[in-house]
Amino acid sequence: MPQATGRSDATRAVVFSPLDAAGRAELVEQRLTDAIVAGVLRDGERLPSESELARSLGVAVVTAREALESLRDKGLVLTRRGRDGGSFVTHDRDATTRMVDERVRAQSRIELRDLSLHYAAIAGMAAEVAADRASDDDVQSLVEIDERADLTTPGGARRAVGRFQLEIAAVSQSPRLVHEELRLQAETGSLLWLCMREQDYRDRSRQARLEVIEAIRAVEPERARRVTTEHIASAVEWLIEEKVRLEASEPPGASGATGPPGASVAERTEGGAA
Amino acid sequence: MTVTVDVTAQLIAQRIASTIDPVFAMIDGWRDAVERAIATEPEPRAATLDPIIAALVAPELERPGSLITGAGFVATPGFLLDAPWHLAWWLSGANTFRAAPDAGLRRLDAVNDPDSEQFRDYTTLEWWRVPERTGTRHLTGPYVDYLCTDDYTVTITTPVMAAGELAGMVGTDLYVARLERVLLPVIRESGHPCSLVNASGRIVTSTDPHRATGALLRLDGLVDALTPLRNAVTETDAAVLPSGATIVPCGDTSLALVLEG
Repeated sequence: MPQATGRSDATRAVVFSPLDAAGRAELVEQRLTDAIVAGVLRDGERLPSESELARSLGVAVVTAREALESLRDKGLVLTRRGRDGGSFVTHDRDATTRMVDERVRAQSRIELRDLSLHYAAIAGMAAEVAADRASDDDVQSLVEIDERADLTTPGGARRAVGRFQLEIAAVSQSPRLVHEELRLQAETGSLLWLCMREQDYRDRSRQARLEVIEAIRAVEPERARRVTTEHIASAVEWLIEEKVRLEASEPPGASGATGPPGASVAERTEGGAA
Repeated sequence: MTVTVDVTAQLIAQRIASTIDPVFAMIDGWRDAVERAIATEPEPRAATLDPIIAALVAPELERPGSLITGAGFVATPGFLLDAPWHLAWWLSGANTFRAAPDAGLRRLDAVNDPDSEQFRDYTTLEWWRVPERTGTRHLTGPYVDYLCTDDYTVTITTPVMAAGELAGMVGTDLYVARLERVLLPVIRESGHPCSLVNASGRIVTSTDPHRATGALLRLDGLVDALTPLRNAVTETDAAVLPSGATIVPCGDTSLALVLEG
């Protein structure tokens, strides 16, 4: 039975295909989700076609299609048919807020602190080197980025932080720090700067920016680094407090469930009874 | 002020200039060709101009051993009828920016929609701003070009004119690492501790291993001594700093040799 043999060979081939291919759709989906939630991809923006997406990300077209379908299911992408058709970002504020809250809940405190530490290592070093390497023109462009900042909305304040930190990395003259800065912004920006939901933190981010500019102007690398890392540390402290608030208001997996109030708390007191 | 400068130093400065001059000459050639092409075109369009640009820059981008890694034409906003914002820019196979494996010569995928988050108004960038103001060629960098080459880069741009109006810029990108490979052996011949800096005093390459490329060379009076290089396009005289360091401009490249000790 040649057909059956052929089929069995194909199945065997799948079993022994590179594991790398598995989970790629999830990776693509996660990256696009992060970008949409972070506002890197904006409401109404047209996404590249399936084949363009596949090419630029280096995945198979079916993988890209699968990722887009998941994004549609999550309500982050809308697909329109016809001449002006395509996949468009739908930046529903409530959906985005829910998604971010979910991520805050899903990540442990250890992960959140580790993430901020990694980012502070990159951004802090960039600020330190930038303070030594900035020309007058560089300082001027930092001032201009600060002046264009829109502090009236969380998204505006977050984008301003992103623009500023990217320019700092560029001023440090290090392609690697620029790469890392861009990568970490896309991956964690929406999470780390969640504190920009509060006007008080938006104002503080401006204060930090002005002080970093002053430190760079005065060629004070240590101070530029300290102000940068302290700013990031305060963001993660807010984030962990927010995690506590979220966990207190709605225990994970308790949506609709009406168990005894103490049960979920007991579940989360890891090893408390031992 | 005229300063007597070591003959070797003058010679080295000339050799640095002659390494970069062919790149300048090449860009001037592209400018002339683009100006001729748009002079006969009452309604210039990206659709007709792009193939002309590609044909101009492709041979040099594909030439083995070429110093350049990107090149093309960037239009003044509104100049082209069919493309308000337009970058006709090509990257060589050696350019690693978002390159697929085995990428050869390819076009830069630029965001030309001003409503997009990724859009950058290129007329605010140094490689546009300065030649727009001075009306002549400008060397930008070294800088990290995260829009175009994704690497440590020098960009050279020169204005393209149409009926007395700025039509855009032709230009090219060079990786600083490659430039260093070519220029370092030249400056080593001076026998002095010696650095090549741009007009802002930023180090392009140095014989002193402790002087990092990209760092600012902080010497008393250096910024003032380099002012003519930032403003003028003609060749500038050598100068001596209070510390005794000598500044020798490298022809009209806007780069200068700094000899210490």
